[in-house]
Amino acid sequence: MADILMRHDFDVQGRNFDKAGEVSSEIKVILKGLGIDSKIIRRVVVVSFEAEMNVTMYADKGTIVFELTDRNILLTISDEGPGIPDIEQALQEGYSTAPDEMRELGFGFGMGLPNMKKNSDEFEIDSVVARGTTVHARIGHNA
Amino acid sequence: MPDSDLKHGFITDSSLCKGCMECMRVCPTQAIRVKAGKASYIPDYCIDCGLCLRVCTSGAISATTLDFEDLDRFKFKVAVPSASLYSQFPVQDSPAHINQALLKLGFDKVWDSSIEIEMGNRALKDCVRNWQGSYPLISSNCPVIVRLVQVAYPTMVNQLIPIESPRELAARALKRRYSQELGLAEEEIGAIYITPCQTKTISILQPAEDGKSDLDGAIGVNEIYNEMLGLLRDLDAGDIDTAKQGLISTTMLDWGTPEGQIKNLPKRRCLALTGLANIINVFDDIEKGKIRDIEFLECHVCHGGCVAGNLMVDNPYLARSKLLNILSQDNPTTREFEQEVERRYPLEDFTLKAPLKPRELNDAAGNLIERVKKQQHAGLVLDRLPGLNCGLCGAPSCKAHAEDVASNKYPPEDCVLLSRDRVALLQKLYLPDEPDQAEEESDEAASGD
Repeated sequence: MADILMRHDFDVQGRNFDKAGEVSSEIKVILKGLGIDSKIIRRVVVVSFEAEMNVTMYADKGTIVFELTDRNILLTISDEGPGIPDIEQALQEGYSTAPDEMRELGFGFGMGLPNMKKNSDEFEIDSVVARGTTVHARIGHNA
Repeated sequence: MPDSDLKHGFITDSSLCKGCMECMRVCPTQAIRVKAGKASYIPDYCIDCGLCLRVCTSGAISATTLDFEDLDRFKFKVAVPSASLYSQFPVQDSPAHINQALLKLGFDKVWDSSIEIEMGNRALKDCVRNWQGSYPLISSNCPVIVRLVQVAYPTMVNQLIPIESPRELAARALKRRYSQELGLAEEEIGAIYITPCQTKTISILQPAEDGKSDLDGAIGVNEIYNEMLGLLRDLDAGDIDTAKQGLISTTMLDWGTPEGQIKNLPKRRCLALTGLANIINVFDDIEKGKIRDIEFLECHVCHGGCVAGNLMVDNPYLARSKLLNILSQDNPTTREFEQEVERRYPLEDFTLKAPLKPRELNDAAGNLIERVKKQQHAGLVLDRLPGLNCGLCGAPSCKAHAEDVASNKYPPEDCVLLSRDRVALLQKLYLPDEPDQAEEESDEAASGD
């Protein structure tokens, strides 16, 4: 396992739509400061933003851990939420369990997880119903 | 600081700079430092927004515009007024009067861009409708927006509307026409933009894409304002056909005003944005993937659009009301105008002279491990700084100072709370008549560079 050059831990507060997106903004600033390729940054930002939105929508609280190695950016998103009963189904575009009120806010169109997967080089979901979900995403970089 | 080849729309005269730091505080990209009582800037980060010019009280920053004498190198001089020019003079002065005054000022012709603007509207509509790439498209008419995207949102460069601006189309058209009519070479014809802001000047001197502008320079509205006012009062009544407004089509007046470009597009899928801070917020949301159903963003860096440009004279609200006044008068679109647009539209080449690319910044020095260390170092420096963002170190924020320190540009002791030397230096620079209060070795005051 490659050395972790940098690590940041962020808390995400569930149901707080006002703050949703702030962690991704912070991650973006960090990566820009490191001179990471902007295309890579954009993929990381999309993954972390969708993750933040999922935690905000479905869980009471969660964390996002950002780690940097010489070849990869790793995001680990864990929440204490309802869990995902059928992961394969959840990964299909357009599949959503979001209630109407979320959709009215412009979220929950069933693109979150598929979008995260699409923007990651490696993507893994561990979920236990009624306990929570942990998502690992790896995005390679060549800085 | 290494000077890059990048040109900007400013001339700075540091002998006039009073070191007041106003420019440093407003710069949205934190490109300005004020170290030994004088402002300097990092060209790579400058997006030509012109806020520094707007707030400078000492006259140290001026726009790179042309003097009237510069125009004598052309055999035939044609003014291409921004539509916003018509908002600057008293209500009784119609565009016809203003064009007449431009001729008296020394131009051989005044080019009316109505047709180019109408073609621009059509090209925009076609571009948004037929777009195959990612949405939202971003208007490229305001040069600050183009530069902001090139510097801060490089992945969105291919979302900038890739069509030539009406002012460039106008310059090309007028050169074609007058070189034919007068038998002059195109180089002998000067196409001079009458500009509301210094940013359009830089878009002429150094277009955001690699290429050469068809315009030959720009003159700021404020530079001709006083003389124009006098000329307008002296105009002979017989000079002007008062039955006409003097514009081929007044719809051109909408182009530089908020919502002026989205009027022909489906409103539900377009946003008109004004103000740099608001635009940055929306661009951040685009990067996160938060904006999904919007096809086009019309962006004006100035609140109020081009009438609020930094080389304008009149208050932007009054200016807008004058444009509305002209628009409210009966100006039927003529058949000739429509026919001319129909005729030229299919023949016109709207493509940019070269594709837009992100600006290459030299801030990724060293390998990744070194860069990580630098960022961590900046974090440690920031922890030691007071967080007041007072700016007395000469950087716009404690965070910017911490980054400068980590990049070995300046010592941490430039912070006034970390070192009395900096206080002594500032006292000497800003209060030269006061007796020296900081007795400590003020002679060795750290100046940083």
